[in-house]
Amino acid sequence: MHQLRSHIGEGPLLRALAVTLAVFAAALGTFVLVNQRGSDAPSAAGGVSVPPSASTDTRIASYQQLVRSHPSDSRGYDFLGDAYMQKVRETGDASFYKRADGVYTKALQLNPRDPAAVTGAGTLALARHDFSAALGYGQRARELAPFSFQPVGVVVDAQVELGRYQDARRSLQQMIDLRPNLSSYARVSYFRELHGDLSGAIDAMKLAVSAGGGAAENVAYVQTLLGNLYFAVGRRADAREAYRTALETFPGYVPATAGLATVSRRARALRLYRSAVARLPLPQYVIALGELQQAAGKRPDYALVRAEERLLQASGVNTDVDLALFEANHGSPARAVSLAKRAWAAAPSVRSADALGWALTSAGRPGQGLHWARRGLALGSRDPLFLYHAGMSAKAAGRAAVARAYLSESLALNPRFSPLYAPRAERTLKELGA
Amino acid sequence: MRRPALLFALVAAALVVAAPSASAHPLGNFSINHLDRLKVSSDRVDVVYILDQAEIPTFQERGFSSAQVLTRKRAEVSRRLELRVDGRVVPLAFAPGAQISYPPGQGGLKLTRVVLPLTARVAHPRVVSLRDGTFPGRVGWKAIVAQPGSGTNVHSNVAASDPTNGLRSYPKSSLSSPLDVRDAALSVKPGDGQLTAPRGDGRVATTHNRSGDGFAGVFADAAAGKGVLVFFLLAAFGWGAVHALSPGHGKTMVAAYLVGTRGTARHAVALGATVTVTHTIGVFALGVVTLLLSALILPEQLYPWLNLVSGLMVVVIGATVLRKRVHQHHDHHHHHHDLTTKGVVAMGASAGLIPCPSALVVLLGAVAQHQVALGLLMIVVFSLGLAGTLTALGLIVVYAQGHVHFSSRLATALPAISALVIVSAGLVLTVQAVPKVV
Repeated sequence: MHQLRSHIGEGPLLRALAVTLAVFAAALGTFVLVNQRGSDAPSAAGGVSVPPSASTDTRIASYQQLVRSHPSDSRGYDFLGDAYMQKVRETGDASFYKRADGVYTKALQLNPRDPAAVTGAGTLALARHDFSAALGYGQRARELAPFSFQPVGVVVDAQVELGRYQDARRSLQQMIDLRPNLSSYARVSYFRELHGDLSGAIDAMKLAVSAGGGAAENVAYVQTLLGNLYFAVGRRADAREAYRTALETFPGYVPATAGLATVSRRARALRLYRSAVARLPLPQYVIALGELQQAAGKRPDYALVRAEERLLQASGVNTDVDLALFEANHGSPARAVSLAKRAWAAAPSVRSADALGWALTSAGRPGQGLHWARRGLALGSRDPLFLYHAGMSAKAAGRAAVARAYLSESLALNPRFSPLYAPRAERTLKELGA
Repeated sequence: MRRPALLFALVAAALVVAAPSASAHPLGNFSINHLDRLKVSSDRVDVVYILDQAEIPTFQERGFSSAQVLTRKRAEVSRRLELRVDGRVVPLAFAPGAQISYPPGQGGLKLTRVVLPLTARVAHPRVVSLRDGTFPGRVGWKAIVAQPGSGTNVHSNVAASDPTNGLRSYPKSSLSSPLDVRDAALSVKPGDGQLTAPRGDGRVATTHNRSGDGFAGVFADAAAGKGVLVFFLLAAFGWGAVHALSPGHGKTMVAAYLVGTRGTARHAVALGATVTVTHTIGVFALGVVTLLLSALILPEQLYPWLNLVSGLMVVVIGATVLRKRVHQHHDHHHHHHDLTTKGVVAMGASAGLIPCPSALVVLLGAVAQHQVALGLLMIVVFSLGLAGTLTALGLIVVYAQGHVHFSSRLATALPAISALVIVSAGLVLTVQAVPKVV
């Protein structure tokens, strides 16, 4: 017993504590060592094959497993981040943005020159409307991977939103040369739409649909956009068909549900918008529902939009042009002007110019409003809503002929472009004696 | 809808990504999160439906009083929560104890928290399934967890553990998705409250819950303010005492040690005291370490390592004792095998060293619910109960030795046998721990 006794030492409590701590230290040490060992293992990130047809949840689970087994390979985090971003597109579950942010950040810590992670950071910046940051990420990713098309997509989107249309045209050409696929055709379509080439936009979007590929949601998304283009030119039956196809491709798809509402009779439209809002109460759907209720002579409920605005402010986010238009139509014109000015300062695009013009007109400054509305139409856009804003501003500014021209063009494109504003355009046109 | 490359959820993105503020709902301002706690007993099925609504859905119901909101939630649950027992649908009745509260959220908005207890009378169910179709299409955390009932032995296809602490806190790791469990299937046999369920971390391994998370459940009740503190301390003591009898708490080791070293009653008491102290310290230390590392390591990843280290330590202790016995035997150097308090302390320390997960759950749960003092107190009481049983066991061994006459050969062999028992126990622990680590 002598030996055992000598092992025990003086203070039994101290001894017990020391032993306890030693065990924890040993356990932790081993744990860390084993994790390190895992990281030295040859990377299998590129070797794991997840079929592209696999559901997003399956892909997420596989990549989570991959990242756990190869925690120091940045590529696993890239795959996982991209799958998270796809999950947001499918469900609108914004908590996946946070996860994507976490894994892209981790990938960049492991390898600051990982082009997929830089691209991912750029996509996230686009999602939070930080277009300058997005452009920076996109360009850096393009330098790191000159032959990859994804970084160019981020660059194109950022340039379009920042109003740099000449740069955007060059980037877009580069993108389509690199990879003529769903992503690049869809961007070509939007670029043509902005420039007023609506039939060219429809052709490009059809190409995007037939290119297909990727997740089912991606196809449903371009089908929905095709429906929106048909709607813009008043081809309601084609639009309905496109939205229905989108809903077949991806059942329950909220953007397609909302699209279907725009080409449905009032009672059905109300039902469809309600179901869209019930599943994903984004401001755009809440506003669309409210405007339809207003057109039906019911009391609209816009308080939810204001609550969402408060959440944006609480988060310190630069608010969107959509909210400026909302304030101009349904809230405080003064607030609309300040929101639109901020939007223009952050992203001087034709969309921002249109919103600023409409805000100024609603605030009783139709002269300036018309000036900005024209800047919004400077590329030749033939968006019925842009044209409506320009026409109403011209009418308020006393420019009857200009007003007639804009309003009749708007109604010629699509006589039912909005349940609330198309009838107003018609009334105004009658007053003007067209 | 005009931007092909951007997402339809742009505003949602802005709400979350650019929101460094800690008050934002972790699953997004749109989420509706729900959890069912399912407990199958021989005569009844109990479900506690817990709902956590983020800011926007709460705001959408601003026109309703809390009683009306509760009615709406009851209606949704009645319509879309389906219990089937042995193939047929059994209606779930609302039990008393429904709660609704509006915790503060982001931007001056509020959240909604609803707890709805439900119950159904059944007779000896064999197959029980629950389908939670509430709030279809809404994003959020959707989970069903199984809890041990009474008079049953249940095999569940859903986990027994809930990492959200009743939808109060959500896992922050970027590497895990929110749960989306809307279906549970349980096979039920008569039994004594056993539950076998998959582990909560999504891996295939299964664990066995002995009379459930009894201690943690007791704590949850105490935190909810239901009942008297004394009652819970008694429950903690009782639970600790029972827990000492469950496998893996070193009682074999302790008994073998006392037999081998001819301890006295004093030693048995000292042993119990040491187990209390080391077990308490162990839980506290592991709790602190876990809290510090929770950002990096999941506690369930830490446990296999702790188990391995403890197994190896026991082997070393046993081997040391054995070596000494053999050595003494050969030298014919017969010491009087008297036991010092210090020796007992060493043994007690190693017995109490590895805190049981149940106790750690209580401590971390207490921290999460800002009930630290209560948690610490209950850990101490739990450890006292544990030590009480071990001491009693030691005393029984000591007195049995005094009253039973061993043959002289057996008396000589006993110390070596006890040392072998210790080594074997350590080897078993180690062997069990290795596959979970590798």
